[in-house]
Amino acid sequence: MADARAKAEETGRFIVERQYVDDRRIHEPKKLDAGGIDISGRWGVLIEPRTITTFDHTLMRQVQRESGGEFIHRCFQCGNCTAACPTAEEHPMFNPRYFIHVVRMGYSAELENVRKYVYLCASCGRCTEACPREVDPSGVMAAIGTVVRKLS
Amino acid sequence: MNESVLVIGGGPAGLRAAADLADLGTSVVLVERRNELGGAPIRWKYKTLAPELRPTEEVMDPMIAAVESHPLVKVYRDSVVERVSRAAGNFHITLRTNGAGAREIPVRAIVAATGFEHFDASRDPRYEYGRAANVIGIHELEGMLKESRVVCKDGRKPKRIAFIFCVGSRDRATNPWCCTVCCGVSIKQGIELKRLLGDVEIYNIYIDIRTFGLWEQLYWTSMEEYGLNFIRGRVSQIYDTGTQLLVKGEDTLVRGPFEVLMDMVVLAVGIAPGEGTAQAAKVLDLNCNSFGFLQPRHPNVHYDSGKEGVFLAGACVAPMSIEEAILAGSAAAMQAAKFVREPALQGAAD
Repeated sequence: MADARAKAEETGRFIVERQYVDDRRIHEPKKLDAGGIDISGRWGVLIEPRTITTFDHTLMRQVQRESGGEFIHRCFQCGNCTAACPTAEEHPMFNPRYFIHVVRMGYSAELENVRKYVYLCASCGRCTEACPREVDPSGVMAAIGTVVRKLS
Repeated sequence: MNESVLVIGGGPAGLRAAADLADLGTSVVLVERRNELGGAPIRWKYKTLAPELRPTEEVMDPMIAAVESHPLVKVYRDSVVERVSRAAGNFHITLRTNGAGAREIPVRAIVAATGFEHFDASRDPRYEYGRAANVIGIHELEGMLKESRVVCKDGRKPKRIAFIFCVGSRDRATNPWCCTVCCGVSIKQGIELKRLLGDVEIYNIYIDIRTFGLWEQLYWTSMEEYGLNFIRGRVSQIYDTGTQLLVKGEDTLVRGPFEVLMDMVVLAVGIAPGEGTAQAAKVLDLNCNSFGFLQPRHPNVHYDSGKEGVFLAGACVAPMSIEEAILAGSAAAMQAAKFVREPALQGAAD
């Protein structure tokens, strides 16, 4: 963790409002020569846009194949699961509604950003009780956890 | 005493009004601006109707047949009401028929059922409608679905189709009202595209989903059985790449801007007041609201125009579904029949 923080401070440290840019979107070449001109370091910094460029349903299909994840496609993003979730009350990065949508639309870069929070799920099942469309968010969270583990 | 009723407009509301009045023994003059009866569902070749995807003909054909075969209904196609004057409790109608000149007809009461037009999406330049070949409206897609042939302009089978909801609706730049039906119609079409094309991904880009009443079932089925995708946001621009369409918007559920390529974009164009409505308002001296729909005397009593002997029905009053327009036609027919038989009864129910 300390290493990661040090790295984050190191890369792109001249970027204005640096805290809003994910580390992975910053490309800062240690050594870069542009036709005889040295643009190493901050001069060659490139920030990848965060624009979503594709909707890809591979992740969703993987989750659907795992036990508990079968009904992820039923979700209409009402947020009842997150509203009922005791973990979400405590932890701002834990949001079952959000996880479901990110997986549903295949936003893999975003899933990468939030993957470590998946396992905060206590499996209490309150979301599944609250869900109006019988998505079984608790099962879906477990299935996402399995898929994320398999992917890494 | 003359007991005939003029019905302006041969769509679902006008047909129902004409058929009901005739069944009650009232003679009807039905005037239709176009050369065919049936209104928008027939003109635009709606394949099926929401929410159960039953063929449009099941609803329209019996009404058209009833009106065409009834001895008490006289149908004037290609005709517009040019002038209306009142004398001795009657209306004198000047009717102009294309190629047949003008004629004068006396009537006792009038039902205005002038319907609507699909919003002209070329008014909103963001969507490239009329310029990009594969940007079409939901009304045009109906005709393609009816022919069971949905392809891109160059003949390719579309693999990714985006529906953009609320085009010409809920927008100060165009029309601020909700058309009430285009969510349901778009979702219905997404299901039909899945059935027709098989391996196609459908992306519904919406602000809210307003599948009210039993239409909600469409929304559920479309996700649970057909795997339609829903993205909450509003498209800011479409770029034509020549072969595909780059759709730019924001997925507001993840606060993520997107620029995604599609093969085809279907615009869920809204309901706008038609030319026929403006004409009817002019000749009948009716009030229009700020949106251009006919203004009933009370917003919750649609059939009452506030003018003696003039009744309103259907989407010329407010955006509505076909089932609502049919009911409105029947309601206006009842009011007109009461008025013709017993003028003193008008307003007695209010």
